[in-house]
Amino acid sequence: MAEMDPTDAIDFDRSVIGVDYDVGSHEVTEEQVTGFSRAIGETNPLYLDKEAAAKGPHGVLIAPPAYYTTIRLQPGPDPKVKFGTTSFNASQHCEFYEPMRVGDTVSAKEQIASVFAKTGRTGTLVFTVRRTTYSNQHGHTVMMVESSNVRRDMAQ
Amino acid sequence: MSQVYFEDVEPGYELTPLIKEPTREQLDAFTTAWGTSAGRFTSDEVARSEGFTGVILPGNMSMAFLAQLLTEWAGSAGKLKRLEVDFRRSVQPGDRLNCVGLVTDTDTEDGENRVILDVYIETQKGERALQGTALVLLPNKP
Repeated sequence: MAEMDPTDAIDFDRSVIGVDYDVGSHEVTEEQVTGFSRAIGETNPLYLDKEAAAKGPHGVLIAPPAYYTTIRLQPGPDPKVKFGTTSFNASQHCEFYEPMRVGDTVSAKEQIASVFAKTGRTGTLVFTVRRTTYSNQHGHTVMMVESSNVRRDMAQ
Repeated sequence: MSQVYFEDVEPGYELTPLIKEPTREQLDAFTTAWGTSAGRFTSDEVARSEGFTGVILPGNMSMAFLAQLLTEWAGSAGKLKRLEVDFRRSVQPGDRLNCVGLVTDTDTEDGENRVILDVYIETQKGERALQGTALVLLPNKP
């Protein structure tokens, strides 16, 4: 007999799975790029030095790879997972195609790729995998991110 | 910055580790640049109510350290193509973070010189806070 999939017992909105939603756009500004770069201790002139970046391969300041994590977008689809009392970021999987450049307008589409439950030693964890695809004003896909979030009951 | 070339690396090659000792001020600068109001990154009280001993670094800040390790190493002629990380343990201001990259495989595919790496961040307690893999493209030696 097949073992029951613990996901079947989880209450969430299954209708949002795999459906792309526009979550708005973001203008990549010098202020945000340099603020982010300084905060993480970057020293690369391509992120920080306008003059040097102008002479570099991109002709303009570019954002460091992890900059995308600080972009403000509209809330994406919500699978309304009814489980757990706390949540945390479990993993990020990024594919980089082109850098984000200062002056770019980056627009994003987001979908819930999957929701699944796993039961292990510490109890049940419910994972939500969100896939976000970022494109620039030229219609080029600049990056894709799969971000996995876990919900569980807080340890007492 | 000197450029690393594909011919320079083979499985077992280790990147010069990047050491980070994030301070509370740097964490505040990061959350300000991000514009986040998530309590566990900005308030000791909220962090304690969630079972931490004080504010923790957001995972994306630690992930940015690994990205920095890789892009500094890849140099201007190299490219970071993929980064996958699992967030395993929380990191707090004052922790000493050893950001490590180890080459596990190299190949050439469609004219691209691909370098596969294991990456991780180890704290002063010897615990791995983040762990994952990366794909970097490197140029050929001229």
